[in-house]
Amino acid sequence: MARNKLEFPLDAEAYEIICKIGVGVSASVYKAVCLPMNSTVVAIKAIDLDQSRADFDSLRRETKTMSLLSHPNILNAYCSFTVDRCLWVVMPFMSCGSLHSIVSSSFPEGLPENCISVFLKETLNAISYLHDQGHLHRDIKAGNILVDSDGSVKLADFGVSASIYEPVTTSSGTTSSSLRLTDIAGTPYWMAPEVVHSHTGYGFKADIWSFGITALELAHGRPPLSHLPPLKSLLMKITKRFHFSDYEISTSACGKKSNKKFSKAFREMVGLCLEQDPTKRPSAEKLLKHPFFRNCKGVDFVVKNVLQCLSNTEQMFIESHILIKGVDDEEDDEEIVKNRRISGWNFREDDLQLSPVFPTAESDTSEFSPRGGDRIQDKPEGDNVVPTGSEVGLGLSNRNEDAKEQEGEVMGFDRDLVLEKLKLLKKSLEHQRARVLVIIEALSGEKEERNREEELLEMVEKLKIELEAEKMKTLRAEKESVLG
Amino acid sequence: MSCNPVSREGTKHQIGEKKASFSLYLFPARSCNAKNRARGKEEEERVRIGSCVSTRGGAGRDASKRLPSQHLSGSLTSSGYVAGDPSDQQSDVVGKKGLFKSKPRTPVDLVRQTRDLLLYSHRSISSLPDSSKPDEKMVELSRNIREMKFILYGNSEAEPVAEACAQLTQEFFREDTLRLLITCLPNLTLETRKDATQVVANLQRQQVNYKLIASDYLEANLDLMDVLIQGFENIDMALHYGSMFRECIRHQIVAKYVLESEHVKKFFDYIQLANFDIAADAAATFKELLTRHKSTVAEFLTKNEDWFFADYNSKLLESVNYVTRRQAIKLLGDILLDRSNSAVMTKYVSSMDYLMILMNLLRESSKSIQIEAFHVFKLFVANQNKPAEIVNILVTNRSKLLRLLADLKPDKDDERFEADKSQVLREISSLEMQDLA
Repeated sequence: MARNKLEFPLDAEAYEIICKIGVGVSASVYKAVCLPMNSTVVAIKAIDLDQSRADFDSLRRETKTMSLLSHPNILNAYCSFTVDRCLWVVMPFMSCGSLHSIVSSSFPEGLPENCISVFLKETLNAISYLHDQGHLHRDIKAGNILVDSDGSVKLADFGVSASIYEPVTTSSGTTSSSLRLTDIAGTPYWMAPEVVHSHTGYGFKADIWSFGITALELAHGRPPLSHLPPLKSLLMKITKRFHFSDYEISTSACGKKSNKKFSKAFREMVGLCLEQDPTKRPSAEKLLKHPFFRNCKGVDFVVKNVLQCLSNTEQMFIESHILIKGVDDEEDDEEIVKNRRISGWNFREDDLQLSPVFPTAESDTSEFSPRGGDRIQDKPEGDNVVPTGSEVGLGLSNRNEDAKEQEGEVMGFDRDLVLEKLKLLKKSLEHQRARVLVIIEALSGEKEERNREEELLEMVEKLKIELEAEKMKTLRAEKESVLG
Repeated sequence: MSCNPVSREGTKHQIGEKKASFSLYLFPARSCNAKNRARGKEEEERVRIGSCVSTRGGAGRDASKRLPSQHLSGSLTSSGYVAGDPSDQQSDVVGKKGLFKSKPRTPVDLVRQTRDLLLYSHRSISSLPDSSKPDEKMVELSRNIREMKFILYGNSEAEPVAEACAQLTQEFFREDTLRLLITCLPNLTLETRKDATQVVANLQRQQVNYKLIASDYLEANLDLMDVLIQGFENIDMALHYGSMFRECIRHQIVAKYVLESEHVKKFFDYIQLANFDIAADAAATFKELLTRHKSTVAEFLTKNEDWFFADYNSKLLESVNYVTRRQAIKLLGDILLDRSNSAVMTKYVSSMDYLMILMNLLRESSKSIQIEAFHVFKLFVANQNKPAEIVNILVTNRSKLLRLLADLKPDKDDERFEADKSQVLREISSLEMQDLA
């Protein structure tokens, strides 16, 4: 593992970016080749640092975790280095993408059970290793389970993972090592109830819950309660109005009918993971011994039955973006939105009395601010991190929306676009909140009115959103014409 | 990464040219050190006894602490050194270990066995480097270190027991186990290195009879810090040694040693290493070093302000590396805004050279850097005794400054920031040109 780090160069020049394969809130992921290494294909996650918080502590933790973990089922980093304002994390390229994209592109109704068991077992190996290392992943879901064309399965994204051995810096030197965490992290639909709502904190078993939800996600194509807005799903979870362990029996709760039959072993396994009481959930190690995984097929089986009928990651990414409709002129906009900048200061002492006027040319300031001048020429280079010529479908995939919903922070290259999208999302969240309130009111009072009112509200909101989108389009077109 | 050419060479003075005149800041440090020093002597005594014990073998060990029935394997292990060929005895240990596997070992036994195994690892690596087959003793060593981790941290079933932790800590530092562990770390597997790092981290916080005995140990073994810091240059060991290093400077006496050594200069380079993991780790340590122990930091800065800030500016604030600039300006703010560093701050904000650097950071395209730069810039403006040259620069650039500051807003609403800003704006507006003295 350490050898890998030596081999991969810490220099952007050594990599040639092929195309973008994913966009997240805080980062974009590219497919690239490492030129000095026989053009080995790699994935590069480029994180915009200027958008991230005051210090890089969480990033430091993430990259450290990724370079110190060593397990065949865990996606670790070859190396990481900064390129202007971005952090590049070079990782193995997983050509089939995430289980989420596989399911949503090719198996919208869910995967067959004998394939699920293979993927889940591999994932569980990773979880078992992580827990043994004292790490909680905290964001286990199909979107974070990556698959390569040879069938290897790797758990990815340690952005919100935590180590129980490394108390967060705020702890005041006390030796209390209760091995429990209290901060809320994860993606709503997959979050364990004790993570959302707990007085005593949570531990490894929170990952087991998410694992159980992931099992259902693979089985049905989407996680339970995902027809509800995320906040409402959390509400359902903590008020225990919905029994996940009974989920199999009432598949209609998923929002659609399913005629699929799952084995008793599968249902029992999921039921164990989704025990409301974390202490009743089995550990990852124990779960590996469950009968469901006993007669599990090898990875060859999924290669033959699942992976060979897939289009590759790049195509999937592009396809998903065509569906969502990309915005094309994004890059031009960025220039306009940039704030006016001061061209340079006047530090010339002898000038002070004579000409308290500001030099505008760079030549005047270059003596004292070498970077000031360079910077302006440098800038295109910085922006170049978004590879020119690659597709610019900058819409957001479903997966990213989940992430956005949990984090209020705006990150990423496509700052303006993301901002716009987030504004929309915020609106829709507010709307959803209002709707939940309406429902609560309705439930306590008359029931008949509810549906009608809800429908109307929905219509209004939809129209509003469309209007917003149209407005933005027009605005963009205007800007462009001004530019041109 | 290379840095910008040193453009402020002129401000560099002889180190220590200015002797500290801030008795206020020195005082607490000194009293504290005196106490530490006294403790240190005691510890030295003990360590010497300890090391002499370890060469003579287990015979001299404090037998009263052991209950005979429980520690059979432990006592055999340690007495193994009394006579005969050590490696023979070592294999004996493993054999016995197998036999007594089910017997619960006390923390003291565990540490002793671990120490013996570390000694073995130390020897075997230097003598026979080509053992390709998995070494049973190394496996045993890994198991021991993991067990130590469970005693200190607890595991999913059990909380740590204070008494066991205390025993383990005491035994660990009674002899030179930490040194052995550090020097043998490269021989261990990745998983064991991680366990060992966590064990070392935890031990720094363990109190025995209300004392941090790790601090006493390190005070007597400060040269270990010289070993640990070399880790930053070794890509395989950097993250492990780096974590240990950061844990060790939790102790004031250790931080003081590092600050007074040449090591502190190395950090200017380490935090700009190309490898992000290692650079970020070094940056975290650097920050800890300059913020954790207030009196020590104030003393250090007062003594070394000239070269320190000259280097800080040229290597860090004017670095070509965005991350370096961003971290450096944040840390500079933390340092200068700390009340205990007010003397240094007063001098800093009277320097025209420094003001120019800060003003250049103010107009960076990165908002994060701008905001952090503002927090330092405001100190220059708020200074009641601004030198004429500073006033004149502010006046000369007044309209640009006002414009820039008016546009500057943090992403989140921040009342403090707005209040500071309007005060700065007022002050700049009211300034008038002064004659240079």
